[in-house]
Amino acid sequence: MLEWIIENKEILKFFYTFIIATVCAVIVIKTDRLFGLSSHQGIRYLRNAFLFYGVGFIIRSLLEIQSFPYRLLSILFEFFLIMAGFFLLYSLLWKRIETAPKNYTSSLFNPRVFLFYSLALVISLIDNLWRTYVFMFFSQIMLFTFASVISFKNYMNNGKKHTFLKFYFAAMFLSLSAWTLNALAALFFQWNQTFVMGVYAINLVIFLLFLYGVIKVTKK
Amino acid sequence: MARKRERLEVIKDILESIRSSRNIKPTRLLYSSNLSPQMFKEYINELLSKNFISLEIDDKEKKTFSLTKKGQDFLQEYRVIENLIENFGL
Repeated sequence: MLEWIIENKEILKFFYTFIIATVCAVIVIKTDRLFGLSSHQGIRYLRNAFLFYGVGFIIRSLLEIQSFPYRLLSILFEFFLIMAGFFLLYSLLWKRIETAPKNYTSSLFNPRVFLFYSLALVISLIDNLWRTYVFMFFSQIMLFTFASVISFKNYMNNGKKHTFLKFYFAAMFLSLSAWTLNALAALFFQWNQTFVMGVYAINLVIFLLFLYGVIKVTKK
Repeated sequence: MARKRERLEVIKDILESIRSSRNIKPTRLLYSSNLSPQMFKEYINELLSKNFISLEIDDKEKKTFSLTKKGQDFLQEYRVIENLIENFGL
């Protein structure tokens, strides 16, 4: 089975990117409509997270194409993925941080988000300079540890009333596992294919869980 | 002590008051909204700017609020929005 997967990895990677990009597009469209009606900042940051994940994964698939500028794409890929993580965490935290209404007209160009942009850019530039992914891995492991704790607390407080909270926590914990596995594969196992395939499989489960959640809770 | 209403819940309550009366005078809406005059003004300005409600002034300078199509859409989608916020911990 593993041999077959490794032999056909290019076509599988294409389907992997296609599925994740489609899932992200569906989530962005659905949440954008609800944000348009409610102006709820949490929905806005959730939408942004999946917009950045979608773009990040599409850029990642372009890394395989020889004629494209690898280093630039690599920086962009890391930048979008890190930003997506920041937006996802911020969608859980914004209520505790944004105590006074600021009414920024854009959620992509405002002082708070510029702080995230700066951090994401610094991390992706340092990684690229050192030709590693270590800083991205550690930033995301820290971020998803934090997100797992918050979503677990949300589940403990309201899990009986809102059933998707347990799946949300599962998605955050799986994300933490995927980033940890990714870091292990890169640092200690020379990108061992079994580890990498494991990361791909976990990522698919995470995105499909989010899609399931968005479809389930927005069903009329 | 009564629970503080969330912003979206206040908007829903205002829009439901307008819907149930079809056309409602500002003073009656203020009473039914349970808000301070200052907060009420802020919410009404937001709802007018977002085109959720419209303000009509008749020949005798009497003002009434009515629900727009966008306001009706919001009320229809309110449960969905609330569901998403609560189930995703947003």
